[in-house]
Amino acid sequence: MDIIAGVFQDAFFAAIASIGFASISNPPRRIYPVCAGTAAVGHSLRYVLMNVAGMHLVIASLCAATVIGLMAVFLAPRTKAPAEAVSFPALLPMIPGMYAYRTFQNLILCLTGGESEFHHYFYLCGSNGLTCLAVLLVMAIGVTIPIFIFKRISFRATRQI
Amino acid sequence: MTENSIRLHGTCQPSEEETVHVTVKEACVFLSEYAASLLGCGATCIRIEKNVHRMAEAIGVDYSMVIMPATVQMTVWDKDRRHSYSNIRKIRKTGTSFSINTGLSRLSWELYDGKVGFPEAAGRMEEILQARPENRWLVLFLASAANASFCRLFGGDFISMGIVFIATLVGFRIRQMMLEDRIDIRLAFVCASFVSSVIASAGYVFGLGTTPDIALGTSVLYLVPGVPYLNSMSDLLDGHYISFLSRFLDATVLTVCLSAGLCGGFLVMNLRWF
Repeated sequence: MDIIAGVFQDAFFAAIASIGFASISNPPRRIYPVCAGTAAVGHSLRYVLMNVAGMHLVIASLCAATVIGLMAVFLAPRTKAPAEAVSFPALLPMIPGMYAYRTFQNLILCLTGGESEFHHYFYLCGSNGLTCLAVLLVMAIGVTIPIFIFKRISFRATRQI
Repeated sequence: MTENSIRLHGTCQPSEEETVHVTVKEACVFLSEYAASLLGCGATCIRIEKNVHRMAEAIGVDYSMVIMPATVQMTVWDKDRRHSYSNIRKIRKTGTSFSINTGLSRLSWELYDGKVGFPEAAGRMEEILQARPENRWLVLFLASAANASFCRLFGGDFISMGIVFIATLVGFRIRQMMLEDRIDIRLAFVCASFVSSVIASAGYVFGLGTTPDIALGTSVLYLVPGVPYLNSMSDLLDGHYISFLSRFLDATVLTVCLSAGLCGGFLVMNLRWF
């Protein structure tokens, strides 16, 4: 029961986060609901994969991003927007922002102590940085795979027939 | 005498040769302007190439294009490869805007499908570029709500969510005001993240909520440049390494600035660095 409640809560807050962070990049108004739905599915899928199936963050992000990419390819033509205008805002709640800034925070902290502190903080800097890079990369790979598979649909999204 | 008459004749009735010249020249100016606008609104390189290719096909010209971080170089040839024009256009910065990206992509299809003629296309493009940005107060509210729900996603309680909401509201407003005053974006990021982290440390200072660490950690996440990071990775996968590097470094510099502001907040509030 806890898991189901957790999934719905995750989906709900991911949808709000997606709309809010997307609004900074001026999307057309009509894509907000699509972004919210796509983000909710993607983020809650990642939640399930990590907390129920025990997957690693990177693999789970890859799966979630692929699903977001698939949904974007098929939903984008209905909103007459390019696929990335739907998938990128939907990916925003999964951006590893905390890993990104911790990388640089720990880099600064490397310089503050002796050898053992340096090892500790350099390790934190490296592990945060690598995780951040890996997650960003698999997110981009994940949304790109469906675009390449369904090339004909995805680049015609903004065509009006 | 004969030379003169030929020249006069030339100006009155343009020969076919000159029509080609004019078409190629106008196509070059338009396409480079178009590519520079797409680059400026934060479109991925693969999008720019697809759209420009489609439009060049519709106009009936051959082209070659180089996309650099701050410029687009375009050479346009007529189909017989006898005349060419080149143009280097500086990026037309409009800030990341998916609605401009959508509008310009749609324009390329409209031109391709013959719904818009080439002469009107330039006017249409200017119209699209004039698109008003989203209402800033709405963005302010939505971004704050987004960051508060982000806090929840990381496991924060409702009090922490409230703290993050207020911290984002103030920090984001500072970012907006500084960018409107054309203050350097890096300085704006340092200031916004500093203020947000100081406000978010209220959880520690006043002992509010059970998850003050999460409130402090998520309070600056609205500043992480997510779309530039995703754009850069898309360019990497597509083999546009120069564009990838420049976009990635731009985003990294902003991330460094927000970490700097956050570190400043830790120092001022005298908090232990995790």
